Amino acid sequence: MDLSIIIDSLPVLLKATMVTVLLAVVSVIIALILGFFTALARISKIKVLKAIGSIYISIFRGTPLLVQIFVIYYGLPQIDIELSPITSGILALSLNAGAYLSESFRAAILAVDKGQMEAAVSMGMTYWQAMRRVILPQSIRIAIPTLSNTYIILIKDTSLVSVITVTELLQMSSLIIAKTFEPLTIYLLAAALYWVVITFFTALLDRLEKRTSKHVA
Amino acid sequence: MEIVELKNIKKSFGDHVVLKDINFSVGKNEVVVIMGPSGSGKSTLLRCITFLEEPDGGKVKLGEFNLQAGLPLNKERKNMIRALRQNTGFVFQQFNLFSHRTALENVMEGPIVIKKMDRQKAKENAIELLSKVGLADKMDHYPAQLSGGQQQRVAIARALSMKPMVMLYDEPTSALDPELVREVLLVMKELAKEGMTMIVVTHERGFARDVADRVVFMEDGLVVEEGSPEKMFGSPVKERTREFLQDVGKEGR
Ligand SMILES: Nc1ncnc2c1ncn2[C@@H]1O[C@H](COP(=O)(O)OP(=O)(O)OP(=O)(O)O)[C@@H](O)[C@H]1O
Ligand SMILES: [Mg+2]
Repeated sequence: MDLSIIIDSLPVLLKATMVTVLLAVVSVIIALILGFFTALARISKIKVLKAIGSIYISIFRGTPLLVQIFVIYYGLPQIDIELSPITSGILALSLNAGAYLSESFRAAILAVDKGQMEAAVSMGMTYWQAMRRVILPQSIRIAIPTLSNTYIILIKDTSLVSVITVTELLQMSSLIIAKTFEPLTIYLLAAALYWVVITFFTALLDRLEKRTSKHVA
Repeated sequence: MEIVELKNIKKSFGDHVVLKDINFSVGKNEVVVIMGPSGSGKSTLLRCITFLEEPDGGKVKLGEFNLQAGLPLNKERKNMIRALRQNTGFVFQQFNLFSHRTALENVMEGPIVIKKMDRQKAKENAIELLSKVGLADKMDHYPAQLSGGQQQRVAIARALSMKPMVMLYDEPTSALDPELVREVLLVMKELAKEGMTMIVVTHERGFARDVADRVVFMEDGLVVEEGSPEKMFGSPVKERTREFLQDVGKEGR
């Protein structure tokens, strides 16, 4: 193994790692918003909303992410929707993770003791005041462990968008290997970089979890 | 003057008739204790007063608010129901304190969110109420850091924060260890002395004797008999009342 190869490719790989992080962070933010509103739709009393939520979840949890990426990037142009590789990647990752996150949110909202809602409305709060002030803050705390889990999986899944030529970490590694013919070194280096990113976010989310559950029995 | 008036309140869950035809009223400053066997509909009755359960029929009157039960829920009715709730303080058997907020924040929440009270003012009021229930020193504790008795006293302060016309208690001491019951009953007794109107579902015979102006005995979704504690514990007219209230007496504290 040649040390100079590592030194030469590291700057480029670090740049690609930033693309991976960017993909993951942007996608998770969109997925959180999407998941949150889907969860609200699923617990609402309005049948149409409920149905839309269920169909969305069913589609995106019931099909492989790779297929979703292909449909968005290669399929949509056929109906004149052309998206750049990175937009397609973010869209697929967000829609996919959003479906999982909405299920975590929903479970967490339902896990909040029924007495909390009763106490809030018995004082005269509206349903939405009670949701916003009492139920949601508690469900977010409950949801954090599963949210972290989904986020870690999302980081790994960003590697799948390499197939539509987004030069994130894995794609960049392959490009370097095509020139250097050092697959073992470069792929191990890529693996190490993924590990660093994931370990960093795991630690961050663990701290968040500890902080939010400090006062809870 | 009547503060609460219930007329022909009926409530069923499926084909299980829980409240058959309840009529009763509570006057200003009056303390009414409701007793009765498990399943007789005591909790359901309290919950119907604030429409936590909507009655199938009948009328609830609270101060100037008048609500006919069993009508479709439009915006105007929702507002009426909320107005009704803002004027009743409900105390639950399981306390139901907001577990993500400190004792102080629990007591500030209603005035800030519902009454849009200024934060500083809400805080001053909350501290005053917590002192009243003897917990000013615990105001920064979260519910999980408080004993059951302390939690229930915070819950009482929270209910009082909305300056209700009437306090409703559903077995406020039933979930407590025996040694914690007294501190809660003392707070309630103090409130009664100050003239707070209260409806209390409880099995605490001593409390009923000392504090109640009137004891209501319920069975099978009906008010069987009501009267002063002396009459109800001493010489009730109905056989069932006698059996039950004497049973409670035997377990009694
Ligand atoms: N939400 C509900 N759905 C179905 N049945 C209910 C519901 N709430 C109460 N009931 C039934 O109504 C009856 C009266 O219940 P309620 O809780 O009012 O009795 P209670 O007098 O408060 O009894 P306890 O002393 O055990 O608290 C019970 O048979 C109960 O099972
Ligand atoms: Mg009950």
